[in-house]
Amino acid sequence: MSHEAAPLPDANLPPFDGGRLLMLGAAIAGAAGLLLTLLGGFFNARAALLAYLVAFVFWLGLAIGAASLVMANYAAGAHWNVTVRRLGEHVAAIVPIFVLLFLPLFLGARYIWFWVAPQEPISKETLELLAHKRIYLNMTSFIWRAVAYFAIWIGIAWRLRAVSLQQDESGDPALTISARRLSAPGLVLFILSFTFASFDWLMSLQPTWYSTIFGLYVYAGSFVASLALVCLVVTGLRSSEEPWGKLISVDHQHNLGKLLLAFTAFWAYMAFSQYMLIWAGNLPEEVQWIVTRSRGAWRPVGQLILFGQFVVPFFLLLSRDLKRSPPALAAVAVWILFIHYVDVYWIVMPAASFDRLGLHWTHLTAFVGVGGVSVAASLFLLRGTRPIPVRDPFLSDSLRYVQP
Amino acid sequence: MRRFVLGEFSEPAACVEAARKLHAEGVPGLDAYSPYPMHGIDEALELPRSRVPLIALTGGVLGASGGYAMQWWMNSVNYSINVGNRPPHGFWTNIPITFESGVLISVLSIFFSSIFYFFKLPRTYHPVFESEKFRTASLDKFWLSAETEDQDQVSSLEARFRSAGALRVHTVVEQV
Repeated sequence: MSHEAAPLPDANLPPFDGGRLLMLGAAIAGAAGLLLTLLGGFFNARAALLAYLVAFVFWLGLAIGAASLVMANYAAGAHWNVTVRRLGEHVAAIVPIFVLLFLPLFLGARYIWFWVAPQEPISKETLELLAHKRIYLNMTSFIWRAVAYFAIWIGIAWRLRAVSLQQDESGDPALTISARRLSAPGLVLFILSFTFASFDWLMSLQPTWYSTIFGLYVYAGSFVASLALVCLVVTGLRSSEEPWGKLISVDHQHNLGKLLLAFTAFWAYMAFSQYMLIWAGNLPEEVQWIVTRSRGAWRPVGQLILFGQFVVPFFLLLSRDLKRSPPALAAVAVWILFIHYVDVYWIVMPAASFDRLGLHWTHLTAFVGVGGVSVAASLFLLRGTRPIPVRDPFLSDSLRYVQP
Repeated sequence: MRRFVLGEFSEPAACVEAARKLHAEGVPGLDAYSPYPMHGIDEALELPRSRVPLIALTGGVLGASGGYAMQWWMNSVNYSINVGNRPPHGFWTNIPITFESGVLISVLSIFFSSIFYFFKLPRTYHPVFESEKFRTASLDKFWLSAETEDQDQVSSLEARFRSAGALRVHTVVEQV
């Protein structure tokens, strides 16, 4: 409203110590979910591992998207986002636990990715095609690539968080510059590595198919979902009694809503570019992926994603009042998170079950398992820190930010 | 004849504060001028929500549906060509042009509605331009104006502007 700088938050305000029950609850639910999924794996390894892969990609994507959001704001020199930045940093900082969570996928690789050990009766052409792709699709390079992805993600996400926390103590503006210098190349590295990760873990489920835009499609979906998650946390914080939440204004929430709108359109752009080129080209090796996903039980799922991830949220988010209302924006954010899960499900599952939805109870346990551990880890890292970077040089700009 | 009482402020915050005060006192025909966007002035003057987004949406929807209808009519009704046995009415390949025409018409409707409707383009003149001092509104000063038909009100309006903190106050009379 006014131009006077809002009072700076007291750097001596006690660090965040809320969310204890949520953290413990999430940790317990996560451990139980992972154990149950493991149990399911003993009965039906393939079904449990596929369900686990869906949950793994969904939750990892949130962390990757949140890191990208932080870096994009640094690279663009944004000032408004300072009050909400640390939330993104702490969603991003959970990447290390995914190294451990990746082990079951590594150990059970031959149950999920049939190029690892082709054993079903498959045609000579497919075998030759797989032999041709062996240079890329082999277990050794698969592992080394995974190591490289995690090294990039962990290194950058933790560096961003460390720089930011260090600035809470010293207030040194040079730290902002070093974060900026890291962010521009970091974004490139993230997008490239996540593209290749999605080739390795998702596209190779149907190893005879390829699409160069596929990585960006998965990335765009993850980015939208992580924005939705940040919106959800921000609306929750603003409605709570938490003193730190009062520093996040309706204008910050409005900006996040605008980004959500923009990247909903970005997701649609990626999804459409992939689909339209394949549709118009109509080549056998390109259409197989789409054909599998537009027949039988998968057809309504695809239509649900088209309307649920683009048409409905896009037109809803055009409304200014909706973006400024905490409950309404939170409802849209929850919906987008749900539909992103459906999207990942629709990417993974048709590769294994052509004609049925392939629902298995381990989908629920894997989602709760990976999610519970992720939420608990994120809260564990956030507790004991200040949820707002109190000595950021742009904090006062951010606090007096209003919509133009 | 309309009379415009003008008040100059050197800081945007002071201008917004004065606008809020004068608006609360019920000063008629308040308007604000500044060289760059002033945060909070819309709320201070309680201006209605801008109609530009609605115009953009209407233009976008009309442009998109028009673009789609044009392709449908050309490709599958008026002059249908068989290209590699693809269907003459291909929904997905029509989308890029539909999107582009939606954006185009949306932008054009903002542009033309702005200059001809909101800025009333053929009119290039406004009575407040009579004032030489008012030129600082496009440089580094912030102005408020009140509008009245009544000569007797002018002096009381000028006094109110001064008490609201205006640094310079004067009145221009519309030349007819």
